[in-house]
Amino acid sequence: MIAKTPFEFHTSSQLVAITGRKAADLNEFLAILKEIEDSSIFYHVHHAFREYQFAPGLYTNDFAHWVGDELNENVLAEKLANINIKDYTEIKSLRARIAEIVDNYLQANPDSGRLKARHKFYFCKNVGIIQKTRYAAWDLEEFCGMLHRVGLRSLFFHFFEARLRLGRKSNDFSDWIKFNFGDERLARQIEALDPYLYTMDQLRDQMIGLICGNKDTIMGRILKWLKAR
Amino acid sequence: MAKSKIEEYAKIIRPQNFDELMLLAEKVRGRRLRMVNATSVGGGVAEILTRVVPLFNELGIKTKWEAIKGSGEFFGVTKAFHNALHGSKTDITEQMLNIYNETNKANLADMSFDDDVVIIHDPQPAGLIAAKENSKAKWVWRCHIDTSHPQPDVWNFLKGFVEKYDASIFSTPWFAKGLPIPQYFIYPAIDPLAEKNRELSAHEINAVLQKYKLDRSRPIITQVSRFDYLKDPLGVIETYKLVKKHIDCQLVLAGGGASDDPEGGQVLKEVQEAAGNDKDIHVLLLPDFADLEINALQRASTVVLQKSLREGFGLTVTEALWKAKPVVASAVGGITLQVIHNFTGLLVHSIEGAAYQIRYLINNPQAAKKLGEYGREHVREKFLITRKLRNYLLLFLALENAGKDIIQL
Repeated sequence: MIAKTPFEFHTSSQLVAITGRKAADLNEFLAILKEIEDSSIFYHVHHAFREYQFAPGLYTNDFAHWVGDELNENVLAEKLANINIKDYTEIKSLRARIAEIVDNYLQANPDSGRLKARHKFYFCKNVGIIQKTRYAAWDLEEFCGMLHRVGLRSLFFHFFEARLRLGRKSNDFSDWIKFNFGDERLARQIEALDPYLYTMDQLRDQMIGLICGNKDTIMGRILKWLKAR
Repeated sequence: MAKSKIEEYAKIIRPQNFDELMLLAEKVRGRRLRMVNATSVGGGVAEILTRVVPLFNELGIKTKWEAIKGSGEFFGVTKAFHNALHGSKTDITEQMLNIYNETNKANLADMSFDDDVVIIHDPQPAGLIAAKENSKAKWVWRCHIDTSHPQPDVWNFLKGFVEKYDASIFSTPWFAKGLPIPQYFIYPAIDPLAEKNRELSAHEINAVLQKYKLDRSRPIITQVSRFDYLKDPLGVIETYKLVKKHIDCQLVLAGGGASDDPEGGQVLKEVQEAAGNDKDIHVLLLPDFADLEINALQRASTVVLQKSLREGFGLTVTEALWKAKPVVASAVGGITLQVIHNFTGLLVHSIEGAAYQIRYLINNPQAAKKLGEYGREHVREKFLITRKLRNYLLLFLALENAGKDIIQL
């Protein structure tokens, strides 16, 4: 089946900028968190996920990391680490949730707000540079083949950045499949993946498995054959 | 020196990342870039520029590189600046500031800046910003050193220049300062195809070990760095002595000099005195371009040590990690970005801590191997020259789209 419009793979590169804002304790952290640019929140909830691809699950978001490692506030660190970014499709509500968790913790543990960290938290942000790649898929089989060939930054852009940073309510892959092929079930399955628990390579494999793994396509047959081995 | 072709990197990094680099380069092809630093030979900055400049040209960025000229007196002043910016208490006199200003002014007379982007590396040539008013270029100050706790008078002097740039680049967020200009964060990087990092045959490694009379049947602990107090070479010897009480090992302290570092001779003398007559301490003052030797020494090491007291980034650590070596390193400066404790290496805070962790690794080769493997992957993702090229290309685009958080090409 041919799509009405091709899926044009984009990629997104990130240049990290230093905002100059830094927090020495939780009180300062909360105050800055409430007003820092959206791009800073986006950066810190994805930075470890993007950078430690070879070590799945070891690192959560930067906020949890700092609270645990530098302040030894392990309960709060676990609460922050447990935020599922996927539940949010806009930075505003994600920021509000992070602030709420820290705020509630400080109300219950007021002394924690003044504990000085060994190292300050430096708020960074990223400048996202979005570019169209040479890959455009017209059907699902071609789509799976290209998913193998595009970089992980492309996957990140369509799955994470489009959804949370650019305000699209779903990931781009699901939207395209729903609109072009009317396959709402498949679109829902992709949207239901818990991407933050996989490395990007694993996420790519999960998607290809969902899209082509059960279909009688060349890619599907290759995957079945690989599985059988 | 053999130049690497850009395509060769596609075999080292993910091919998709390589494709993306080429895609990005298409968008900035034809831009003119000028790099200026203090020395063309010796030290990490010159080393990376030697590799990066030809690659930029190959990507279609017309890149020139110049080193400023200065007297021994000038480099004495800038070394004092360097130490003061790293936080050491240093006396800075009015006369020293005059020498700095006059040398920068004299260099300006011989230079022109008809480029799109000018990147000035470190404090020595920062005063060249005076040429900005007659130039259409975007000016960027690239700081390679740890400025997290600078001596205020020196930083304030330097800040007067830095504030006039269009942007600055630091190696870690915590080196950044309160500046009215955009500050970016770009990791330094190593070149996996450079003589210092390329794969070596067993024959090549053994030849170097024979040359320096090292015995491969006993553990070798190595620190590669300039002879500089901030690299704590005397602390390295103390560490070795603590390990030696338990393990029959050898120490290699290897480094070269740099033309902008007049202190090196004195430090070397003290190190040789501390080493005394111990035949298992090998203090090697290597000449410029001894990259093959350094590569072989790192690869032959049982453990690589970096016992710095302060560190900008610590590219010698990156080199060791890339060679999948277990690394024991001080938790200072940019080392903490590279060595994630118990994952890509071991971080220490004292001579005793360093000695203990070295003993642990020598006695636990499986754990050492695992740390080395993770260390190599960490470098592959973050600290190779291809990532640096990519970041500079992004920087050009950010400079052309100032103030935007999302740039759609």
